[in-house]
Amino acid sequence: MRRAVYNLAIPNTILKPASRAIRRTPSLHRAGRLCCALVGLALAAHAADWSGPERQLASKIFAVTGTGVITLTVENRSSLGKRDSEVIQNGLRSALESAGVHFARPDRATSRAVTAEATAVKISLSENSTSYVWVAEIRQSAGEPIVVMVSSLRPQSAIAGRESVPLSLRKSPLWTQEDPILDVAVLEESTAPTRIAVLDAEKVAIYRLTAGKWQQEQALEIAHPRPWPRDLRGRLILARDHLLDVYLPGVVCRSSGGVPVTLSCHESDDPWPLIPAALSGGSFSVFPGPESNAVAVPAVGAFYAPMRNFFTGALTPGVGKLTTVSKFYSAAVLPRDKSLLWLIAATDGHVHMVDGTSDQAVTFAWGSDLASVKTPCGSGWQVLATSSEEADGDWVRAFEFPDRDPVAVSGAVDFSGGVITALWTEAKGDTAVAVVRNRETGSYDAFRLAVACSQ
Amino acid sequence: MRFGWRWLVVSSMMVAAMAAGAETRPQYGGAVHVAMRGAPASLDPVELDRADVVQAESDSFAQRSLTMLMFDTLVTAGENGRVQPGLAESWQASQGNQHWQLRIRSGVKFHDGTMLSAEVAAAALRAANPAWNVNAAGDSVVIELGGPEPELLEELALARNAIVKRNPESTPSGTGPFRVVDWQPGKKLTLAANEDCWRGRPFLDTIEIEMGKSFREQMTALELGKADLVEVAPEQTHLFSQNQFSQNRDAQAGHRLASSVPVELLALVFARDAASPDEKLLREALAWSVERGSIKSVLLQGAGQPSASLLPNWMSGYGFVFQAGADLARARQAREQVHTAPTWTIGYGDADPVDRLLAERIALNARDAGLSLQPSSAANADLRLVRIPLASADPWIALASVATLAGMPAGKTRGAVEELYAAELAVLAPQRVIPLFHLPVSYAAAGTLRNWGVRPDGSWTLADAWLEGKP
Repeated sequence: MRRAVYNLAIPNTILKPASRAIRRTPSLHRAGRLCCALVGLALAAHAADWSGPERQLASKIFAVTGTGVITLTVENRSSLGKRDSEVIQNGLRSALESAGVHFARPDRATSRAVTAEATAVKISLSENSTSYVWVAEIRQSAGEPIVVMVSSLRPQSAIAGRESVPLSLRKSPLWTQEDPILDVAVLEESTAPTRIAVLDAEKVAIYRLTAGKWQQEQALEIAHPRPWPRDLRGRLILARDHLLDVYLPGVVCRSSGGVPVTLSCHESDDPWPLIPAALSGGSFSVFPGPESNAVAVPAVGAFYAPMRNFFTGALTPGVGKLTTVSKFYSAAVLPRDKSLLWLIAATDGHVHMVDGTSDQAVTFAWGSDLASVKTPCGSGWQVLATSSEEADGDWVRAFEFPDRDPVAVSGAVDFSGGVITALWTEAKGDTAVAVVRNRETGSYDAFRLAVACSQ
Repeated sequence: MRFGWRWLVVSSMMVAAMAAGAETRPQYGGAVHVAMRGAPASLDPVELDRADVVQAESDSFAQRSLTMLMFDTLVTAGENGRVQPGLAESWQASQGNQHWQLRIRSGVKFHDGTMLSAEVAAAALRAANPAWNVNAAGDSVVIELGGPEPELLEELALARNAIVKRNPESTPSGTGPFRVVDWQPGKKLTLAANEDCWRGRPFLDTIEIEMGKSFREQMTALELGKADLVEVAPEQTHLFSQNQFSQNRDAQAGHRLASSVPVELLALVFARDAASPDEKLLREALAWSVERGSIKSVLLQGAGQPSASLLPNWMSGYGFVFQAGADLARARQAREQVHTAPTWTIGYGDADPVDRLLAERIALNARDAGLSLQPSSAANADLRLVRIPLASADPWIALASVATLAGMPAGKTRGAVEELYAAELAVLAPQRVIPLFHLPVSYAAAGTLRNWGVRPDGSWTLADAWLEGKP
């Protein structure tokens, strides 16, 4: 499939003042031209700087009222807060005064005679789906009011950063982009990542942090002869003798080791590694168990259904005697006394606890994404699980298994109402990457999740 | 009362929260049963778009929904209002937005197995827009327009501009997530998953759509488990929150309701322009006589927003400037300026029982102002109570569609909000249309149907839906 190219921005709208009042007199035309110039200022202004649209609206009002006396009321019909509303109201008064408009004195404003003489100006701070819209209804007599208005593009809604609950699970942002992120791998880091690879449906993009800014080093296109399934999933697996491998439904890619990096993709049903190499191939014990009880964690691969969003259940080399389990979305491993416990989030909605000889389906209040992490905290191994409840947004929480039931060992980390679309253990095994779709902006945010012991 | 973007956000969040829970990954398989009032005779988007405003125009939301199951557009309107690539993967405008070039995505197959090409796409657009000069150039579609069309992309995102391959001997073929298996015009449509869909195979195996079902029949079907997704009349939505629509509380508990922002205009539309200044005064009297507030409370059960503007406030930002409250004194004043007033017939569609009640109530209001209105279900009424689906969340396109459906020309020179206001005033000036309400579109679904949604244009989408517990 051909890679999409960047689309041109939708051409800017042409902003022209067109008030019926403005069309009436040459002086109004001049005011209109002033307004036109101010629109640009308004659009460029930061949301907190309202001076542009204030002056613009004041100019339009002045074009109708002249230097006469007015009574002014301002009503907030928008999502602006009280403070912003008051700031704008004061700004409008100042702008009107600067333009030459006179206000009825407050102590006389309620006088019937003054009210009858004065022009009543009612300003409504409104909004539509893209802009703030400020509307002035100017009533000079008993007839229909003259309506003038200005608009100013709304800023992208700021997402309030909610503090996590007291926790031992911390999230730190890795990457954000419009296209769905399937996985992120940290290639180099010092105190923080300095080089990352981002996997999406069409490419692996490699970015480097240079002078405080992320700059793309390379974009490696992923060739795939067939359309991807919906709910596309993919993994980046760091390699020792080359940079990385990419696992996608029915496609496996292998990078080169040199610079510049190249990527070679081919159709394949090779199994995907369920846990990173750092967690497999060694012997691990569960703290505070005796070292002699250390168990080996073998590398296990699982076959992925090429046109679906789940693993088929076929494992290689298998878990103990079991080489087939239920179809599943994700899996996590926990070393236990002399044995390994695999937790499999199956497509039937249950978590299957597989210990090599038995496969027990249980129901936890978990979602379908699990990842295991090995940390210096607690028993040394935790399972990160997503939420199962349909709520305002997904969360991730760390669990341990002292026995057969999960015990939450961290608070829940939420993602400001976002939907978790991927959760994978990172290469070193002590952290995980969570990808979240932002419900408000539609963009995808990748976070690193780390368990902190001291909390 | 503040009503605007905040309401939109709340409404959208409600849709998202109720229809798009994501605690588990989507599951493949299963058949979904949908019921709808509309009974289209054709699946061709161009034919669907030719529905007369006088005839069941409210069905357009369902028609848009059907179109986007089977077909794709060159671009799509994203949730945030931004245009996204569809069958066109990139585009470029030049010559002051008069010349547009859209590069067609490669490797896309129609349901009949043939490949999408620029030629086919151009032919589809020509059929939908005879006034456009559309041609294929290599892997691109080139659209030459008579004047600047900065909103062309928003136009291309409309369902009526879906890319259709027309086959003389069979139903039109598309590239959408579902293909036609069985089509009984006006009665039933059976769709199956398009295994080769360029966006990926949908999760559902099949969708069966029963047509021509009244709101009551749809609700009964949902309650009995015979339908998974149904339409809900605006005046019925409150029953969901009050748990009253069903005798079977357990069955109802799992149902989910999702509503759009107000995207349907309920209005009175005169059959012709006012013939004299006196007639204009009478129309003005009628407009001032309608008690929208009490109609909302009693007949619409609190649904919708009383409005005297064509565009809803969330779309324009200035809708509140148009006074929607009744002013009987003003109505009588206008009426008294005319010596004699004829008896007008006010028509209503018989598809929705509440329309007759609305027409009767408006006739009562008019009588208080000294006007005589005779409710009638006949097609040739002097004025009709109509439901006009707004074509797009884009205010300029929406205004143009309302003007066209009401038989009036609409200027399309896009500009600042004040120009939009001026354009709306121009459409209202002949007093051919009296806006009454802006209504949301609501749907209810079984609890097992997940990740369905309501688009900003009021249509439902099942492209990414799935059924819980199917694997």
